[in-house]
Amino acid sequence: MDHKSRVFASVFAVPSLSHTTPTPIATPDLGYTGPGKSFGSPFASAAGGPHRAVRRNLAWSAATRFLSLPKPPLGNDTSVDFERIPKSAEVEEALQYLLVGEGKSEQEHEEGLVEWYTNEARLHFATYVRPALEELWDREIDLRHAWEVLDETQRILHLVQHLYLQPFEDHVLPHLYNQGSSSTIRPGNSEDMVTQAPGWKMKRDIQAVFAHCLPPQRFSKTLSYVLYDSGCKLFRIYVRQDGLQASATPEDSQAFRKRLVALLQGLELVGLGGDNAQKAFAHAMDKLMDSFIVSHYLKVDWFSKKSMVPHLRMWIKDGFCPLVELVLDCLKCDPDHVQPTELQQWQDMALGRLGRARVDNLFDFVINWDKSLGAILDIKEYLKVSNAKQHLTSSFSQQVSRRLLHPGATTTFILNVYIYVIRAFHELEPKGVLLERVARPIRRYLKERDDTARIIISSLLTDLDDESGTKFAPGSELSYEIASEMHKPIANVSQDQDEELNWNDMNWQPLPSDASPDYKKAKVEDVIWFLLTLWDREDFIDELKNILGNHLLRCQDPEYEKEIRLLELIKIRLGDDKLQACEVMLRDVLDSKRINSSIQGSGISGLLQTPQGAPRTPQPSGRQLGLGPSTPSWPPPQPKGPKLNAQILSSFFWPPLREDDFQVPEQIQTIQKSYEANFERIKGMRKLRWMNALGDSSITLAFQDRTEDFEKLTPWQVSVICAFEPQPGEEWAAGGNGKGKATSSITRDVEQLSTALSMDTPLVRQALGFWVGKSVLRSTSPDTYEVIESLATTSNKADADAAAAAQEIAQVQAEAQSAAVKTQEDVFQEKKDVYRSFIVGMLTNTGNLPVMRIMMMMRMMVQGGFPFGMEELKGLLAEMMAEGKVVGLGGEVYGIRKA
Amino acid sequence: MALTSGHNAPNGSRGQTVAQRLQKELMDLMTKPTAGITAFPDDENMTRWTATIEGPADTPYANLTFKLAMRFGSTYPYEAPSVVFKTPIYHPNVDFSGRICLDILKDKWSALVGIEGLLVSLQSLLGEPNNSSPLNGQAAELWDNDMEAFKRHVLARHKTSEELDLDA
Repeated sequence: MDHKSRVFASVFAVPSLSHTTPTPIATPDLGYTGPGKSFGSPFASAAGGPHRAVRRNLAWSAATRFLSLPKPPLGNDTSVDFERIPKSAEVEEALQYLLVGEGKSEQEHEEGLVEWYTNEARLHFATYVRPALEELWDREIDLRHAWEVLDETQRILHLVQHLYLQPFEDHVLPHLYNQGSSSTIRPGNSEDMVTQAPGWKMKRDIQAVFAHCLPPQRFSKTLSYVLYDSGCKLFRIYVRQDGLQASATPEDSQAFRKRLVALLQGLELVGLGGDNAQKAFAHAMDKLMDSFIVSHYLKVDWFSKKSMVPHLRMWIKDGFCPLVELVLDCLKCDPDHVQPTELQQWQDMALGRLGRARVDNLFDFVINWDKSLGAILDIKEYLKVSNAKQHLTSSFSQQVSRRLLHPGATTTFILNVYIYVIRAFHELEPKGVLLERVARPIRRYLKERDDTARIIISSLLTDLDDESGTKFAPGSELSYEIASEMHKPIANVSQDQDEELNWNDMNWQPLPSDASPDYKKAKVEDVIWFLLTLWDREDFIDELKNILGNHLLRCQDPEYEKEIRLLELIKIRLGDDKLQACEVMLRDVLDSKRINSSIQGSGISGLLQTPQGAPRTPQPSGRQLGLGPSTPSWPPPQPKGPKLNAQILSSFFWPPLREDDFQVPEQIQTIQKSYEANFERIKGMRKLRWMNALGDSSITLAFQDRTEDFEKLTPWQVSVICAFEPQPGEEWAAGGNGKGKATSSITRDVEQLSTALSMDTPLVRQALGFWVGKSVLRSTSPDTYEVIESLATTSNKADADAAAAAQEIAQVQAEAQSAAVKTQEDVFQEKKDVYRSFIVGMLTNTGNLPVMRIMMMMRMMVQGGFPFGMEELKGLLAEMMAEGKVVGLGGEVYGIRKA
Repeated sequence: MALTSGHNAPNGSRGQTVAQRLQKELMDLMTKPTAGITAFPDDENMTRWTATIEGPADTPYANLTFKLAMRFGSTYPYEAPSVVFKTPIYHPNVDFSGRICLDILKDKWSALVGIEGLLVSLQSLLGEPNNSSPLNGQAAELWDNDMEAFKRHVLARHKTSEELDLDA
């Protein structure tokens, strides 16, 4: 329509000018004659009836023409203000007529203008807008583009919403409004309702169309991501998400916040806020909390060792909540501020998550105690959350069984970890209920290990400050942790008051509600207490006797301070009955010192002086003595002449000791005799029985070209080297000062030595190996050795090599041999004969028996118990079969062999 | 310890001491075995034992082994155990059901005898029967008058433990 026609039309309504002509104009409706009316009267229906339809049609045509939406509204730069037909009076009138006037739809078949417009908008949206949106959304949204996609969506929707709503609000609503306000005076609320209702309904319908065209899950996922991402950025949490590195460039958080607010408000405006957005937001915040917990903000504080929990609470309160409020505000959610109870809930929730995250690594924290104090404190806070204790117990037990209680872990390591567990859990929960629970499997496992008691006791007896730093090297059996515990002062043991009845105890607290029935608050709760109570008392004391015995015999400290202290400690912990044996042992070694000095001081020293003329003068200084029915003993050295210090041990109280018997050098025998005589004089009825295998000695060897001192030798080593002294009958050219010629070194073979010393061959060989290692002897032919009289003339590579090799072997052997107290293995070997006769007796008298039965009978019948397993027993039976005493009858049944 | 269990000894703890005493005797027997004599409890119940003795050389019983069943009462060692031969034996002082007539099983018993002493006595009884109070008159008579016939009777009556098992 050109301008001219418009002008014309504004004066003369010429329907034909418009593009459509309503039918009634073309074909006037003459109406129908009502019943009883005269036919054909031109006035018949002048009142309106049939004319209403015509009028309405006309008005409809004008209004819809006016309101219809532009066809290609969205170009690249969609202009909202597309050229709209100016609103003419005719249109105004038509709208008025259709919306509030007589033309208002009255019957169901008549379409209302509002409905028509809504439909028009829908149609328009489906035709022109939806394809563009679908293009954006029909694929998975790459997280990198989530922001852009949302922005774009929001922009488009905002535009079209404006496009749709603008005419409606401009042209339709005023009519409705006017009608609403003019018709009746109503209370404000209802008025609002009436006037707002059509607009609100329109908007809702359009927004429903919008929402419908977006894939709901994809949309909420994207929105959720965007919210999460913005959370991360606002709090500067850099977490890898789905392989995507969050942008490392710190954006200006103010600007970012604005962008977020804009987006959210935009979404809310086009109806994409609301419940779905809230749900997406909830997801995002949930994830954000997780991310925060694993982020660098809440890393365990290894340096200042503080708990991170206050930090976390603060963040929830001052970081998380404001963000939630901001977003809720943007989304126009109903309660748009956070309630205090919600804050509390969130803090608890976050604490629970933090706790779980920490508990997952609890084992690592425990083994890094006490650097990990911060983490432990976090977990301590976490324990206040309900169910936390169960979770902690089960999770930690799992970690322990997976990472600790397996054959690959050394007992020392397990013990160390156990100590850390004790310390860490003591911090975690001073009442010890948790500790009791988590430690149970560890304790049970430790009990099963053979070497536990030995390691504990020997570690307790070890000096902490060790000169070389090798004692506690990795792989060493000794536990530094245990040794250092020993250094701590003995905790004050409260007197045996019944604490429950101590009315004056102002610090009394009830037992923890989750304690097990046998829970008992330990009075002393240091680490040693836990270690010492691993076993039944009796078992522990037996083990203690063995180890203490071994230790006392080797101990260098003349005062035995550590040993006394240990014994006192154990007495405090375990009560002092049953520990007599240990006390006697300790007293024995202390008494021995006195007896030694009294014997040596009583003028016998003359006897101890032996001629110095001999070429190699052994000065053995340690010897283990046995005192008749009830004691053994031994000595340390004096520089001059052989000197004997005895340890007098009450054999009844000591554990079984090594009893290898052999001849000690004659000089020593002499001293032993005189010592014995003196001892008997002092101690009356008691008799000494010498235990030559125990003890230690030092010796000075004089060679042609050198003199060497050796200390801490075993008696058999000394005996063997002494046997290389020339015998009176032997041809040996004594030099001026008693040295032999280099060419005629003295030679002995193993056989000779073994008979001469009545010593077991393995022991002889071990001693020979030791001396070869020291470059004192050399092997001339297999089993034959001679003294290296002169190093200078004979030193050659072969000797050195042999010495090096022998030294290594000797060391290994010495370690195996040096235990003074018998091992299980030794005991088994020793008692084998008794066991044999048991088996023979059993099989002779009760007939053939299966091995299980034999085992059971042995356990039952052997006095003192049969502490050995099936393997040992089967070995023994096999041996007896080989000897022809027993026959195997198949199926592990054994019988006696008939002669 | 001995004091307490001796004084107020209800049956339970008395039984305990019998078992302990028997266990000790068993241990002694095993650590210092006597040639030709073994004894061992039948089962967990320490009060029933089986003993095996070998016939002394230079007697009609040489190379034969005899099993005995021993029952220890709750008063052991103050009363003698009851001992019977399980292996059939032809002997002046043993009847056909294996009962033995021996002074130390009756009035001469003393707690000092012990299981080992008892078995040693029984072993020597084989070589030196007390013919003045025989349970088996024929055997006593043959022992005094016809050693060859006696030996035949001994061998005829003896059964090895395997044969005994078969009979049972």
